[in-house]
Amino acid sequence: MTQSVPHKLIILLALVAALVTVTRTTRGVHAQTPAPQANAATPEQSKAQDQSKPYEEAEYRRFPVVGSRVAIWAVAQLHLLFAAFVLAVPIFAFIIEVIGYKTGDLRYDRLAYEFTKLLSVSFSLTATFGAFLTFMLIALYPKFTNYLMSVFSPTFLPYVLLFFAEAFFLYTYYYGWGKFHPLTHLGLGLGLNLVGTAIMFIANAWLTFMMSPRGISDAGAVLSVRDAVFNYTWMPINVHRVIANIAFGGSVAGAYAAFKFLQAETDEERAHYDWMGYIGNFVAISAFLPLPFAGYWLAKEIYAFSQTLGLTMMGGAFSWLFIIQAVLIGNLFLAANYYLWLGMGRVEGPQPLQKFIKYLLIGIALCFMVWATPRSIIATVSEIRAMGGSSHPILGYLGVMSAKNTAVNILILTTFMSFLLYRRTGKVATVPWAKKGHTAQLAIFALVAIFVIFLGVYGYFVEATVRIKLSVPQVLSVLFAMIAITAIDIFLFRGARRTGEVRWGRMPAISQYVLIFIAVTFTWLMGLMGYVRSGLRQHWHVYGVIRDRSVDAFTPTLGFATKVVSVTVLLFFLLIGVVFWISSLHDRPDFKRRSRLEEESSPEYSVPHAPAPRPTKS
Amino acid sequence: MRIPLILRIGLLVLATTGFYTYVGQMVPQKEVQAPKETELSGNVSTADMVQIGRQIMEGKGLCLTCHTIGKSGALRFPDLAGVDTRAKTRVAGLNDVEYLAQSMYEPLAYVVPGFPPAMPPINKPPIGLTDQEILCVIAYLQTLGGTPTVTLQTKHHYNSGAAAPAPAPGAPPKGTP
Repeated sequence: MTQSVPHKLIILLALVAALVTVTRTTRGVHAQTPAPQANAATPEQSKAQDQSKPYEEAEYRRFPVVGSRVAIWAVAQLHLLFAAFVLAVPIFAFIIEVIGYKTGDLRYDRLAYEFTKLLSVSFSLTATFGAFLTFMLIALYPKFTNYLMSVFSPTFLPYVLLFFAEAFFLYTYYYGWGKFHPLTHLGLGLGLNLVGTAIMFIANAWLTFMMSPRGISDAGAVLSVRDAVFNYTWMPINVHRVIANIAFGGSVAGAYAAFKFLQAETDEERAHYDWMGYIGNFVAISAFLPLPFAGYWLAKEIYAFSQTLGLTMMGGAFSWLFIIQAVLIGNLFLAANYYLWLGMGRVEGPQPLQKFIKYLLIGIALCFMVWATPRSIIATVSEIRAMGGSSHPILGYLGVMSAKNTAVNILILTTFMSFLLYRRTGKVATVPWAKKGHTAQLAIFALVAIFVIFLGVYGYFVEATVRIKLSVPQVLSVLFAMIAITAIDIFLFRGARRTGEVRWGRMPAISQYVLIFIAVTFTWLMGLMGYVRSGLRQHWHVYGVIRDRSVDAFTPTLGFATKVVSVTVLLFFLLIGVVFWISSLHDRPDFKRRSRLEEESSPEYSVPHAPAPRPTKS
Repeated sequence: MRIPLILRIGLLVLATTGFYTYVGQMVPQKEVQAPKETELSGNVSTADMVQIGRQIMEGKGLCLTCHTIGKSGALRFPDLAGVDTRAKTRVAGLNDVEYLAQSMYEPLAYVVPGFPPAMPPINKPPIGLTDQEILCVIAYLQTLGGTPTVTLQTKHHYNSGAAAPAPAPGAPPKGTP
């Protein structure tokens, strides 16, 4: 008995080994190598076999758990969000510094520096995520990455050189604050902006080529690198991204100010961060207003490149994504207007213009509702039968482009007017032609609004070729109104009489949460639109030329996409929180000094009613 | 109890992203797979081709992304109801099969007045229907106002049939759009 147990064990193990071998063979693991030979191979033979193994380039590799696409998606999105921030902040920091230099007001200089402080850590994170993305692409999509590298190899050296230049300008701009002649320092800021923009333009060529390829043969062979760079969507994306980056950067900087405002312990700090938050939000919304126009141009070029691509975007798999976009943009407009309305309370005395805001908010809400109306409605079979189709008999008319274009143009115009009302809060125009000026502004606003609505309604009665072109005069008329009304306003309020001072810092805490909400919404919107831009290619790496044959070559549901966007946004805010914290270390007193201050503020050193000591701000 | 600031901000960020994620779950959920080539053998009947053609139009061909069937009013692209009737007389010298084939292989050769010249060649990427798949689509289109006649063996100008002469680009239209 005792001897039979080991025998049985050996037989059992042999059976298990045989079973494993058979199973692996039938699964095709060793399909090319007969099992008996493999089993019989000596270590030397195995080594020789390994040595004679030919090199085969993997087409795809799988990222654990989430898969390659989601991994690339998240890292690319994080890289883009930090890059957008790093490119945007120097633009408005530079402009604010210029204002400070021209006016001699040191507050502007301090504000520009405060914005710039956020840059250095963000720059490192951008570069880290950029390198991470590159390695991930090489590891997970080696063959396709190799193809892209072969097409764009001439752009790599300029890219790297520009990156060096970017680092030089950024660090000299930041560390050289107050160390150079102001004009020299402004020159560094200008250099930083130019180089940063050039870097983005090069990177944009790579990604837009994937969407609207040019300069290659039908089989993908490179014919002209120049054409590959100057593809259909390159310049529209460049313009769209510059504007969107400013809007996004402004909103994140506004959120930073809001965070600092809520942390502030003195009125002086609150006043400073309230002002900073206001400027951040002003930058964000000012850039946001012309963004839809850049979006029109981009969409137009997508259609010009491929109607199929355009229709996939607006009428196919992605059409419902624009309903989500409408919710986001509607929220942004509502939140921005609410913040402005709260901001009117900063100004001393009664504000007669405040009562108009509610009418503007009603207009914005109506436009929002039109924009968010889908063309086809999810309904039960009986409901569809009752409606006579998936389009609602009445609401269905609001789901088409004529209505949506009109709504978004009125939305922009209304928010612009809200800004204008805020701008003139606490001021009375004293120029002799003040009444005429106000009338002219009102007339322009009303006429343009009527014109935009008229074109929207007219679009229902004309054929497609005419209707498509109506969006151009709609956009141009709104742009005209914004420029003309602003121009009148500048002269109208020159030397205006103040009815009350602006009391910076006198803002309810809710206004700061609104700023944070705006920043999160902007970030989420960027994530969503980044998804549609990239996802539009569907099962193509390079649209219409190089097919995606990986396991991820399908378009996920919008529900899944929004989950990925949300996770990326949360990660971004977690990381940007770290950036804010690291930046705030700059203001902390030295360790020794802090210990001394803490010691002094202990009971035996305390002086009744003495304010708590605060570190001196730079 | 006062909630710490960092927690309040964290909750706001979570609630905002959570809300947008929720909105994302409320819209129709459709996973779009990469299209597969339809495998057709020689003995597929015309009736089967009609069924397959309809499926291709809804799926791989993306036809119904732009075209409608039985709608009127402000359309962006031509409605396909009764298209076979019009196809027989639309371009001089082309019968319905030749005209429908031309519309897919060389769509800019004739553009219906009032509509933009926007249709891509259907036999090329990104849509890239095969000759047989296009014949199936023609079979289905023939049911819209006519009777399907094509088989997988049907030859036309674009599948090396060369029976019908290539029509002159921009030939004068007949009938209504």
